[in-house]
Amino acid sequence: MPMRRSPKLRPNGWDALVILAVVLLAAACAVTVWGRGGGTGELTAVVSIDGREVERVALGSAAGERVYAGNGYTLTVDFEPGGVTVREADCPTQDCVHTGTITRSGQSIVCLPGRIIIQLTGGPADASAPDVVIG
Amino acid sequence: MRRLTVLLLALAMLAGLTACGMEPADPNTAQESIQVIAMDTVMTFSIYGEKSTHAVYAAEDEVRRLEGLLSRTDPESDVSRLNAAPAGEAVTVSEDTRSLLEMARFYAMMTEGAFDCTLAPVSSAWGFTEESFRVPSRTELDGLLQHVGWEKFQLPEGQNLTASHDEGVEIDLGGIAKGYVTDVIAGILEENHVPRATISLGGNVLVWGDRPDGTPWRVGIQDPARADAADGYAGFLSLTDAFAVTSGSYQRYFEEDGQRYHHIIDPATGCPADSGLTSVTVVEKRERDANSNILGSGTECDALSTALFVMGEEKALEFWRTERESRQMSFDLVLVTEDGRVVVTDGIADVFTPDETSGYAYETVS
Repeated sequence: MPMRRSPKLRPNGWDALVILAVVLLAAACAVTVWGRGGGTGELTAVVSIDGREVERVALGSAAGERVYAGNGYTLTVDFEPGGVTVREADCPTQDCVHTGTITRSGQSIVCLPGRIIIQLTGGPADASAPDVVIG
Repeated sequence: MRRLTVLLLALAMLAGLTACGMEPADPNTAQESIQVIAMDTVMTFSIYGEKSTHAVYAAEDEVRRLEGLLSRTDPESDVSRLNAAPAGEAVTVSEDTRSLLEMARFYAMMTEGAFDCTLAPVSSAWGFTEESFRVPSRTELDGLLQHVGWEKFQLPEGQNLTASHDEGVEIDLGGIAKGYVTDVIAGILEENHVPRATISLGGNVLVWGDRPDGTPWRVGIQDPARADAADGYAGFLSLTDAFAVTSGSYQRYFEEDGQRYHHIIDPATGCPADSGLTSVTVVEKRERDANSNILGSGTECDALSTALFVMGEEKALEFWRTERESRQMSFDLVLVTEDGRVVVTDGIADVFTPDETSGYAYETVS
């Protein structure tokens, strides 16, 4: 039996529109799902003062030195590719300076008197790194 | 007809896209993490599940409330009011404060005074309360020790929400407050049917459920010898539904004339405990059954970590064996000694992993 194309099934402008909509939706879905990233993004330092996030510094390239102040104390922080160090602080405890350089996602430097927290997120996952540290 | 099908497909995808953008109900992915500065430490609450956001903020509220009751610097707190009251005067306190005082007395008796919540005047003399460090004289310490002892405060029977103390006695519940906070948070996690969480209060940790990949949480024990290193560990514990608390001489200390003085005071001498240990970690399971009525494991770990540090290796292990046999308490220990050993009790030997780079000699005891 010869195939006869019904005029009704010939693609028209509406079909093109519907196909376009489907393609766009598929792309949007993909972006939404992949954009979530599973913690494999760039290593980033999140600085918060008194519980409020004030800055995000990506550590892909050297971001240099920055100064943060909280609760009357001042911290001088070095951002380098792959690591963050508090170089100088005028607090009495100096715990933040003693912490040294943090390099892995999940690690943080804390200045209790200044209520400043610098925490690393993203970067490659390290299977041997603990989820939580006591001490 | 086909056009309709394609349209329906598109609509289905649109619905899918909307679902992508919404808070996922899958306990493996929905997660809320907050950091809270309270009780002189940084706390990190990382909670999973549908009610994760509600649970982290409920936990923060509880921390703030308890800090308001137990703080020694807030003059309005229960503890400050109790300390400021004249000797023998009954002070009305909250239910939480009263039950913490009862627990403090219980653990003081259990440990024969190695844990003591009346050491505040001695700690202050060393400057650990105000961060103005000094070495007090023997005479000064002997004078202060006259006012130390769990029998020097009273919790009148029949008057459930009061407490009083003898002349010169000062109470500091800091030694068990964080443990109590983790017990309270465990209750919040249970109430909200939280599938998994990690709650860290510095030296006090609660792990709830397992990791999103179904394996136990990996808990690192800070290496006391490398206290300044962000990734120096004495070993790792693979834990689910458990409290773990570490007391270590490296956590707070000062140096004077080449000598190091740390913050864990031996109530018998009034001086930093010289017990041959550098840290004690106490681990206890938290069964997830509201009817099991073993509340207070977090508080217990907190009190015991301090007390067993003061006791030293030999007495601590003896205490562990006695409690295990009598089945009064069921905890396990990781002790780090000054002479380079890590001693693990056999109840957690199978979940303990040494850190090969630490240089410690590892021992399991039974």
